[in-house]
Amino acid sequence: MAKIAIDPLTRIEGHLRIEAQIEGGKVVDAWSSSTMWRGIELIVKNRDPREVWALLSRI
Amino acid sequence: MQDESLFSDLSKRGISRRDFLTFCSTMAATLGLQSTVVPQIAEALEKKQKPYVVWLEFQDCAGDSESILRSTKPTIAQLVLDVISLEYHETIMAPSGKNAEKSLADVVKNHKGKYIAIVEGSIPMKDGGVYCCIGGKTAIDMAKEVCGNALATIAVGSCASYGGIPAAAPNPTGAVSVKQAVPNATVINLPGCPVNCENLTATVVHYLTFGALPQCDKEGRPLFAYGKRIHDNCERRPHFDAGQFVRKWGDDGHRKGWCLYEMGCKGPQSYMNCPTIRWNEGTSWPVMAGHGCFGCGQPQNWDALGSIYSRLPNVPGAGYQTTADKIGLGVAAAAAAGVAVHAAVRASKCKAEEDKK
Repeated sequence: MAKIAIDPLTRIEGHLRIEAQIEGGKVVDAWSSSTMWRGIELIVKNRDPREVWALLSRI
Repeated sequence: MQDESLFSDLSKRGISRRDFLTFCSTMAATLGLQSTVVPQIAEALEKKQKPYVVWLEFQDCAGDSESILRSTKPTIAQLVLDVISLEYHETIMAPSGKNAEKSLADVVKNHKGKYIAIVEGSIPMKDGGVYCCIGGKTAIDMAKEVCGNALATIAVGSCASYGGIPAAAPNPTGAVSVKQAVPNATVINLPGCPVNCENLTATVVHYLTFGALPQCDKEGRPLFAYGKRIHDNCERRPHFDAGQFVRKWGDDGHRKGWCLYEMGCKGPQSYMNCPTIRWNEGTSWPVMAGHGCFGCGQPQNWDALGSIYSRLPNVPGAGYQTTADKIGLGVAAAAAAGVAVHAAVRASKCKAEEDKK
């Protein structure tokens, strides 16, 4: 029984970590984690609603 | 491949000598240099080794990467970026996981003090830096190691330059710029949301030609790109001076291309060369497309400049031409009144003298 981790996962937009549990050459379980967070949901709170598109389009 | 000069790589890709020299002239113009330096630029690009470059992404949206990858003008500029020895760039590199980490570690180890680090995205400092981790390392640890050992670091985009959107209030992750995170590193800031590819190319060309980074302002921005105010180079400036403003989206003034100041344009407080080099092959830029500038290249623009649709207070000179005309009319009226008073006084004096007689 082995566990592998691929981090960073390249050729994607953003930061991603993939972990997989392997038994007998087969993946039996897997986990993905997004390893970066900016809190844009909190940043747009209480802002002028008209300008929120400009922040959220840069996600 | 590694030790070849930039031009030898370009010629393999079918770039003619003429195209190459045209590119050198464009770069000289972008840098605000005289045409006499064109041979110097050409010589540097022909003879010097391609620089080793690593591109790090932290709290980013890959917008700056997109800006570079999708640029088409000048085409050679794209190739310049293509043919620098780009050893690490998560979005476009082939290796993943441990092999990717090895590519980065090899450059830092084998070319210490000689490579250029390009950083996209801010660096979170709160809670031990847990909000951005790559290969199990925090962004702050990576930045200290990679930028700290680089010849120079180019911070591309407003997040790497100033903290950008992640650092906007309430800054949930304690995001900071590269210079704030690694104060001892040599950092040049190329803010903008995203960075303009031509400014990045020109910065690299300047470095290759003169062996030094271009002259910067107090915000660490190169003067060739950020030395002039958008408002002063804006094609709608005559409408500002004439007091011709868009008052509502889609109104008559908007259709006629009048000034967007009343609609919240931040051009009067923004320094960048957007009006002259523009975007998308020099096709357009926000104000030309009919939307105000929102000061994306200014420090903390999301909080310091107010909502992107709120009018900047107290910008002097709005409609000064019409004001001048009004004052002129007033002066003329006053002069006419003065003449009339003088005439009346004189007339009454004359009358009084006549009466004496």
